Amino acid sequence: MSDLSVAAARTADVLLRALGGRTVMLRTPASAVPADVTEQLGIATPLFQDLPLAPVAYRKARATVTEGKAAKWEMLVSATTVEGLVGSLAYASASVLFAAAYGVLCGGELLEIVSATQEQVFGRPYVYRLILRAPLAQGV
Amino acid sequence: MQNAKDTFYTMLQGRLAILNPSRTRVLRGVVRPATLVDENELPTAWIPLDAFRLQWTRLQVTSDSPLPLFEMECSIQYATDGSSGNGGMDRGRLLAAMDAELATALAAEPHTVAKMNYATAGAGVAPTAMGTNVFWADPVFGAASTVGERMERTATVQVFANQEAGEL
Repeated sequence: MSDLSVAAARTADVLLRALGGRTVMLRTPASAVPADVTEQLGIATPLFQDLPLAPVAYRKARATVTEGKAAKWEMLVSATTVEGLVGSLAYASASVLFAAAYGVLCGGELLEIVSATQEQVFGRPYVYRLILRAPLAQGV
Repeated sequence: MQNAKDTFYTMLQGRLAILNPSRTRVLRGVVRPATLVDENELPTAWIPLDAFRLQWTRLQVTSDSPLPLFEMECSIQYATDGSSGNGGMDRGRLLAAMDAELATALAAEPHTVAKMNYATAGAGVAPTAMGTNVFWADPVFGAASTVGERMERTATVQVFANQEAGEL
């Protein structure tokens, strides 16, 4: 691992903390039960666990100005934190972690993950960028 | 009505899995056949590709018989981007393969299956067989549409079932 890539990740962490360094929760469902058809039929529901993501910074990328279109948020997440979660929870990659997640809990509001991308330097991500969508029912 | 929906889904999932066992998806760490019911899954912005997604749309009830007849429309959506190894140039072939799998599964005899009650089922616990059957018509395939590199199609099939006494 290049020293420069480590430095970039640390710099990103410092910048995210300087921008507020919020803590949000990544809500993920527990593993599915093998050979249990009831989960596929909506009878049994999975348990959820909230994983802390910090430091993050986010801003509203699109206000709710049109009926039927939800507000969108752009969130920058520390790659150091994401790598820790991926490793400790044995996910194959960060993209799998975000794809499996149910949403991001920000201040009591559950935002849906629309996309997850990463910025890299020398092959190592230093920050993750999530596009989040607010639920339409809570749009104002 | 819910029992009929559950029964039709498990029947179709089973037939499609036999036709193409390699069409699977990983859901929360578990490999499953790539057939799902949208309303039974967690809401998500991701659209599962190379999978059959069932949605229950129209409903009509004919109640002039001792056992009311439910006619439900099942909308089956599927999409593919092609395989990345082929640069997506095989997306038409992959969509045609899914067309064939779905048509074969729904055309296979019999066009009926015993209605099951899954409310009491669980891991290792079998569902309870009910007294009537679920049956269906031939599917109607809509036009294929292209969104960017993605090809998708929606097929609809009419599913029929009688509501038994005491069944909600």
